[in-house]
Amino acid sequence: MPHVMINSKKCTGCHMCELACSALHEGAYRPSVARLFAEVNPTTGAIKGHTCLQTGCAKCQEACPADAIVTKQITVTVKGEFAGKEKHGDTVTGYVLVVDEEKCTNCGECYDVCPTGVIHEHPDREVAFKCDLCGGEPQCIAFCQNPHVLAVDLKVDKKDKEPAPA
Amino acid sequence: MDFYQGKVLRLDLSSHTSTVEPLDMEWAQQYIGGKGLLLRYLWEEAPPKVDPWAPENPIILMTGPFAGTNVTTSSRLVVGCKSPVTGIYTDSYVGGSFAPEIKFAGYDAVIITGQAPEPVVVTIKDDVVSFLPVGPYKGMATSEVEAALRADFDKDAKVLSIGPAGEKEIPWACISTDQYHKAGRGGHGALMGRKGLKAIAVRGTGSVHVGDAKAFLADLYRIHKDHILTEDNLWANEEGTPVLAQIMSDAGVLPTRNWSTGTFEAIEKINSDAFQKVKTKNRACYQCAIACRQWHEAGGVAGEGPEYETIALCGSNCGVSDIAALMKFNQACDELGMDTISCGAVVALAMDLTEKGIHDFGLRFGEIEGYLKAPELIASREGIGAELALGTRALAAKYGHPELSFEVKNLELPGYDPRGSFGMSLSYATSDRGGCHMRSYPIADEVMSGTLPPDTMEGKAKYNMDAQHYSSMKYTGIWCDFWAIDFDQMSQLMKHVWRREVSEEELTAVGERIWNLGRLFNLREGVEPDDLPLKLHAEEHAHTEGVSAGRAIGTEAFRAATREYYQLRGWDENGVPGEEKLAELGVDVRL
Repeated sequence: MPHVMINSKKCTGCHMCELACSALHEGAYRPSVARLFAEVNPTTGAIKGHTCLQTGCAKCQEACPADAIVTKQITVTVKGEFAGKEKHGDTVTGYVLVVDEEKCTNCGECYDVCPTGVIHEHPDREVAFKCDLCGGEPQCIAFCQNPHVLAVDLKVDKKDKEPAPA
Repeated sequence: MDFYQGKVLRLDLSSHTSTVEPLDMEWAQQYIGGKGLLLRYLWEEAPPKVDPWAPENPIILMTGPFAGTNVTTSSRLVVGCKSPVTGIYTDSYVGGSFAPEIKFAGYDAVIITGQAPEPVVVTIKDDVVSFLPVGPYKGMATSEVEAALRADFDKDAKVLSIGPAGEKEIPWACISTDQYHKAGRGGHGALMGRKGLKAIAVRGTGSVHVGDAKAFLADLYRIHKDHILTEDNLWANEEGTPVLAQIMSDAGVLPTRNWSTGTFEAIEKINSDAFQKVKTKNRACYQCAIACRQWHEAGGVAGEGPEYETIALCGSNCGVSDIAALMKFNQACDELGMDTISCGAVVALAMDLTEKGIHDFGLRFGEIEGYLKAPELIASREGIGAELALGTRALAAKYGHPELSFEVKNLELPGYDPRGSFGMSLSYATSDRGGCHMRSYPIADEVMSGTLPPDTMEGKAKYNMDAQHYSSMKYTGIWCDFWAIDFDQMSQLMKHVWRREVSEEELTAVGERIWNLGRLFNLREGVEPDDLPLKLHAEEHAHTEGVSAGRAIGTEAFRAATREYYQLRGWDENGVPGEEKLAELGVDVRL
């Protein structure tokens, strides 16, 4: 199933992915509300990526008492023309987990179980928000700007369980 | 408001109060942001002829309109004040992530005035500003105070701080952020120390608006694809500034043993090839595609840097070719919060004075033991450090050898000897902040591309003038030197801010307007003549070895080029901008 991963060995820590993510979803740059993030240790330069594994994890969905985390079919295209984006134009069809804001009660169950810390309460809308692969053209990948290799990339894990569409 | 937050945060340290006021949008229209807007604010905020150490002399932190967006390299912050070192305008640029965080907290600029009765740290969480006693942070190294504030205040905070050198008001104390990033030149850290401000920690959770974000993303995607990850810029990613070391030595431009020659015989030990062998990774500033930050590990020292200027001033100029020692020296300066250009220069001078038998500082060219002790002694003003902290001008004068000091307007010169690149003489002499290579960089064409002859002053007046307009506009954007952005690309970006077509000519004019405003500021405060150390232009001091051997600019040729430069600028023979020029450019202040 398709999901975004940040490769900590390739990432330079420029945070372009967080910026693009917030611009697309919020209509303005607000990386504190980004749906993925790269944690950079300023002293050692070590990087840890935090991204949603979608249906390959689904702990948020399992924990949600309101059935507000919905499985949705999606076709994802990798857009990006910089050096290293060898998968440019690749298209993958699979499933993504999205928040049904009508059903979400902001109870916080999913915030507590998310192993990568990428589902939170939206500061304005008082509902959960998470990565939805930008509806099919992930801006984090489009703006990943390691000049040599793609650090933010689409992964497709065949071993993931394939849930029935909601 | 798009691109701007429309707010200025004012911190008064004397009264421990903060106020928020609207950004002057008329000025923002004329001067855009960064350097331009900083200068316009400084003109107003610094009382004419203010003692630079006085509480009334502000430190201004200015962002650019693109900080906190996907525009590459625009995360830079500019710090400015009337310099306690040069007595004139100074600004210094620093990457990292502080400027975007200030924008996300809701401000375009921070104006710091007054002087705290007891040292403080300031924390800013969006609109909540707190003044806290310096307490345990006092005396901490820059990396320590950053880590402590992240632990105590907010794990995602971005910190701007001074190290022990700033607390001791060392003239080249700098302001640090993200551990390895320094607003290095001009003594901002010393003034911050005088003001009793150890650090500012900021956390911003708000937005930077850009109008139609999807359209903006689409246009940036195109601009980045065409103009960022190209050969013009990728050298910075692959090798970074250490690549300059070998080039400058080969061209007879590399300051070596206190500017006694321009070629270093042991350069291969500290050139880019040597650093590539110990390179561990690249890291990027916030919102930067180029990722020029080279990380190295050698001799038990791991971290970022050194950059070329450090290799030159703290390496060859001190006769040091031990890569691990150079990295240790660099790291010590980073942690103590000191500019490596001035620090290397003063250590090299002390070595020179010792070698010449004028005064024994216990420092000799290439001797590592004393060299490695110097940063700590300087930052604490202990032992020889008390004298070295005078700076090269005062130290050389004290021992009766002013000719051994290589500075302009009391700012120590960076790593380019004009005897191998004549255009640099005028670059240094006319720079708006004293001895600096960042306002115009004839090296690029006299040495690197080879498109201009390095051994003539012909055409260099115009070259430097044009380059100063370019850099003024670039530092207003604020774009980094490592993006070879041109006026056309700047106009493509400014189009989004001004919501109309923008011409290259109009941005060139903004650059010229800013340069003239800077000149007026310096004239108002009292600036020294635009000069250069005698040894760097006088016929009798030509190099005796290397490719630049026998070359001399000639004092008269240098002076003639300075006069030509004034004339081209529409300035009088004393370098005073004429009314006609100021009116043409729409400069809105007068002496």
